[in-house]
Amino acid sequence: MLPDLAGLRGGAAILPELVLTGTVFAVLVLDLALRRSARRGRVLLLVTCLGLAAAATAIAGVSAGAQPLFYGMLVADGFALFVKGVVIAAAVVGAILAALSPEIRRDQLGEYLILLVCLTLGMCLLAGARNLLMLYLALELVSLPSYILAGFRHGDRRSSEAALKYVVFGAAASGLMLFGFSLLYGLAGTLDLPGIGAAVVARGLQGGLDAQLLVVVAVLLSLAGFAYKVAAVPFHMWCPDVYEGAPTPFVAFLSVAPKAAGFAALLRFFLSGFGAPLGFPAPGEFPWPFVLGVLAMATMTVGNLAAITQDNVKRLLAYSSIAHAGYLLMAVAVGSPLAIRGVLLYLPIYLLMNMGAFLVVMAVHDATGSETVDGFRGLGARAPYLAVVMAVFLFSLTGIPPLAGFIGKFFLFAAALQTKSMFFYAVAVVGVVNSVISLYYYARIVRACFLEKPADAQAPVRVGSPAAALLGALAVPTLVLGIWWGPLLGVVEKALLLPR
Amino acid sequence: MGFEFVVVLLFLTTSAVIVGIALWLGRFLRPRLPSAEKASTYECGERPIGSAWFNFNPRFYLFALVFIVFDAEIALTYPAAAVARRWIAEGRAWLVVAEIVLFLAILVAALAYVWGKGELDWNRDLAGPEEMP
Amino acid sequence: MDFSTTSTLLTWMIFTPLIGAGAILVLLALRPLLRQALLDNLARAIGVACTAVVTGQGLILWGGFRGADGALQFVHRLVWIKQWSIEYFVGVDGLSISMVLLTAAVFLVAAIASVPWWGRLDDAHHPHFSKKKVPGYWILFLLLETGVLGTFCALDFFLFYIFWEVMLLPMYFLIGIWGAPPRVEANGRVRGGPYAAIKFFLYTLAGSVLMLLAMIAIYHNSGPSTLADGTASPHSFNVMALTQMFRDGTFAGASPIFGLAFAQAMFLALFIGFSIKVPMFPFHTWLPDAHVDAPTPISVILAGILLKTGMYGMLRFNLQMLSPAMVWAAWGIGILGVINIVYGAFVCMAQKDLKKLIAYSSVSHMGFCLLGFAALTPQALTGCVFQMFSHGIISPMLFLIAGVIYDRAHTREINGFGGLAERLPEYTGITGLAFMASLGLPGLAGFVGEVLVFLGGFGAADQGFRVLVAVSAIAVVITAAYYLWTMQRMFLGKLNEKWAGLWDMNWRERLTLYPLAAATVILGVYPAPIFNLINSSLHQVLSVVSVTLHAGR
Repeated sequence: MLPDLAGLRGGAAILPELVLTGTVFAVLVLDLALRRSARRGRVLLLVTCLGLAAAATAIAGVSAGAQPLFYGMLVADGFALFVKGVVIAAAVVGAILAALSPEIRRDQLGEYLILLVCLTLGMCLLAGARNLLMLYLALELVSLPSYILAGFRHGDRRSSEAALKYVVFGAAASGLMLFGFSLLYGLAGTLDLPGIGAAVVARGLQGGLDAQLLVVVAVLLSLAGFAYKVAAVPFHMWCPDVYEGAPTPFVAFLSVAPKAAGFAALLRFFLSGFGAPLGFPAPGEFPWPFVLGVLAMATMTVGNLAAITQDNVKRLLAYSSIAHAGYLLMAVAVGSPLAIRGVLLYLPIYLLMNMGAFLVVMAVHDATGSETVDGFRGLGARAPYLAVVMAVFLFSLTGIPPLAGFIGKFFLFAAALQTKSMFFYAVAVVGVVNSVISLYYYARIVRACFLEKPADAQAPVRVGSPAAALLGALAVPTLVLGIWWGPLLGVVEKALLLPR
Repeated sequence: MGFEFVVVLLFLTTSAVIVGIALWLGRFLRPRLPSAEKASTYECGERPIGSAWFNFNPRFYLFALVFIVFDAEIALTYPAAAVARRWIAEGRAWLVVAEIVLFLAILVAALAYVWGKGELDWNRDLAGPEEMP
Repeated sequence: MDFSTTSTLLTWMIFTPLIGAGAILVLLALRPLLRQALLDNLARAIGVACTAVVTGQGLILWGGFRGADGALQFVHRLVWIKQWSIEYFVGVDGLSISMVLLTAAVFLVAAIASVPWWGRLDDAHHPHFSKKKVPGYWILFLLLETGVLGTFCALDFFLFYIFWEVMLLPMYFLIGIWGAPPRVEANGRVRGGPYAAIKFFLYTLAGSVLMLLAMIAIYHNSGPSTLADGTASPHSFNVMALTQMFRDGTFAGASPIFGLAFAQAMFLALFIGFSIKVPMFPFHTWLPDAHVDAPTPISVILAGILLKTGMYGMLRFNLQMLSPAMVWAAWGIGILGVINIVYGAFVCMAQKDLKKLIAYSSVSHMGFCLLGFAALTPQALTGCVFQMFSHGIISPMLFLIAGVIYDRAHTREINGFGGLAERLPEYTGITGLAFMASLGLPGLAGFVGEVLVFLGGFGAADQGFRVLVAVSAIAVVITAAYYLWTMQRMFLGKLNEKWAGLWDMNWRERLTLYPLAAATVILGVYPAPIFNLINSSLHQVLSVVSVTLHAGR
């Protein structure tokens, strides 16, 4: 006897995902059909972007609701829709970056775009997953194309190495996570996130120390998968190698979108599964704000300290992205409405500045063949536009007003301080000290651009007009959002109007 | 009593007959060029005798993947078949058909893609482009 | 308290330089149509014109400011981010008016000093900073002015913080790009503009992130307020409202932080942030590097204005807002102030580089501000603010003087000169005046501030301040010693033949130095104009502090 079909309603709510699936299909067919056409690349990019734009429009059309869809597998609340929007925006930029980059061979652009949209689809599902099984499947749908894209530079040893490391780490982390999930299932008897929390708490309180320990182990194991996805300590080691080896347009995307979706899933896992904590949980409950807070401090400190000594800009930005994961983890640890708002606000801002920075790295690499900090020497004279926007992105990443990055950090720290607990005061202090450290290495690049002369007289670096336009499209909001962020905050608050 | 098993008997007989016909027809159609390779235990696989520590031809993976696609196809179309009767009774036959057709279309597109890309071509040069800088 | 918009003058003042920067950006966009020399000169003209306009606006502000009325004036208030009760709220009172006027004047002087017109410039072998990447320099210069003016005028904590940080970026580039090129020192360390710039940046950012945390913590613990458009909001960034809340005990219930009472913890965080900028011992080490390696006009701004932003922050936040904690911390600040005075003076004795000497003398002189600030008497506080102003005109003179000789001799080695008075009489005269003013000769502006700090410190409620005053008085002798010794080594004695080819001041230098010299003399003789501006506000602030001061006794 099958359950009633009512559970299957919600087709309208997954319209964005359906559109993405359709886009994959369309690009696939077109890639095949046009394989002898000279305009294939342009058409495919256009179709991809149109598909993504259609998905974004579909998101705008979905009426956010907290009621579960598909027997509780998915939910299309404002939170999920917002993250989907960010992820799709990142995919648009990622697709254009791929089309601009010589690292992606023209005849393989179609494949790249197909995988990129698949990945985006996975992230959209991840943002809305409220069942552990769905969560796991979505995570794998994100991971598998990522592995392929990381190794997309065929015949390049570093790229292959990056892909292999990514796969091995990913397999280990996802195995641990699956083990954690299975323990949770064993404890709670359900894979439904909201159901788990209640069941676990009930069991934990009844079951004494053994059961509590089991909960701790299960949650920590589950955390492994998320930590891997967002590149948090101690699952961050893949990050620098993959960033260095993988094609730059993919790294730009990887550093933003999967991180965004990973944080969305992490937030939902803890908040939906274990109830919203403010301050510390009662004895007997799992003290995850504390665990996540310590993890946040470790992540930002490791990321920032390791970044100081990097000479390869992609590696440097990899460690920087680890550090940013740390800042975000701090807010996840807090878990208050303000913290969630902070995370949501941070994601689009991080998208702008980080993808912008990678775009500059890509442009410099294409022109000079160098990915080191020294390769940026004298960029201020050779390509003033590139150098200036790079400075904007980097100082925004540091979190210096009046740039958008400051607003992002402001919210994260505001969330930590709002708890008024000593522990989070300490975390916030560690966080701001880390911000100062991060200035040092971001400023190294700026210094190379403006304060140092090129090693030998070199020709100006030319930037194509599409790249220049895209840079402008990323840099201008980075500047504007630092001063006029009310509207973005309005969107975020609207997304959170409904309870989870 | 036991009459239900007639269906099974019929099924077995029919399949045996079809296989027999296929083999019998084959005798007339196929070329007959026996060789040592063909006479070995695994006609188109690796050598059954010798060290197992050697590099397999990566083409096997591609074929395995394609095979899995069709494996998954059966696993996923079966549930639709299972509920088909009930849904037809409820007047939603089109839903079953649409679902299966859509699903198969996606699979076929994927197969066509692999085919079109030449991945099914056994003699394709697998070496990638020259080492990139 | 009602602060409704009364004037948009301050807004115009703050953003006039920004408009100028925008205009230069437009010129840059038109670069293909313009010759490089024309572009450079247009940028310079826009820069000087903007700073002149700001100075003009400053004069209007001065004319319209009612000194006897200690309240806020020229208020401009708008809602900025409603969800966070952040406002655009600017205004001036006695605490800030003198600094706003000083900023306008010093930036005009620095602008003139950044222009290679009106006079001979020997830059055949030593490229002069004023001819390097001219449009970029002026964009940053004007951005800096916007940041500084905004910092002095902002009365919304968030807005203050934004302006405070806006000062950082232009300064980083101005020191780094137009400052001294990297050089390897005798001990193998690499020094120079880029090093000094990042050091300055890191130090100041470290201070300001603490300020950020304090700002957020204060916001979360604050009570409800009313925004400019009348909407009620649960918390507040409004400095005036927060000040009132601290007095009303709104924060009394806030939980202590790391064992300190809330107000004390906030005090410490803000104080550290501001004291790095002052700079206060032991956070002063960025200053000699930054001063020495910055180009002359930037040193002028750094010493004349930027140090004052730290002191102003202390007045506005540590003293006015957190007055109870101020009483708690006064002693410590007083001691640190004395260390600044004495340590700075002794270090000056050992300097061989003229610019470094002046830099350390700034450390010493800002110590007087700290001492006067800590003493918490009307006289001492007036002395503190006056010292801020007088140092704001004397230290620019000193740096301009260092720039004059560096532009000619391309060295600042004090011992390398000698007998310059013979070749450069005018320069010697103005240097003498500046040195005398800085060492606190009666009749010149430097004296007034110091003597008021001493008098006020002696009259402090806490008798211990007499000891501090006595100790710092020793430093005055040392100050006299190092200035006179420097005077002797550079200008007196036999002329070093190496410098026989030097020439005296040109019109550009006269244009920058004489107005400052005149102000030094006038304010030394007749300081009342400044007192009239600042006194009533300071007394209002102090009246609140003294309530706590005497309640605690």
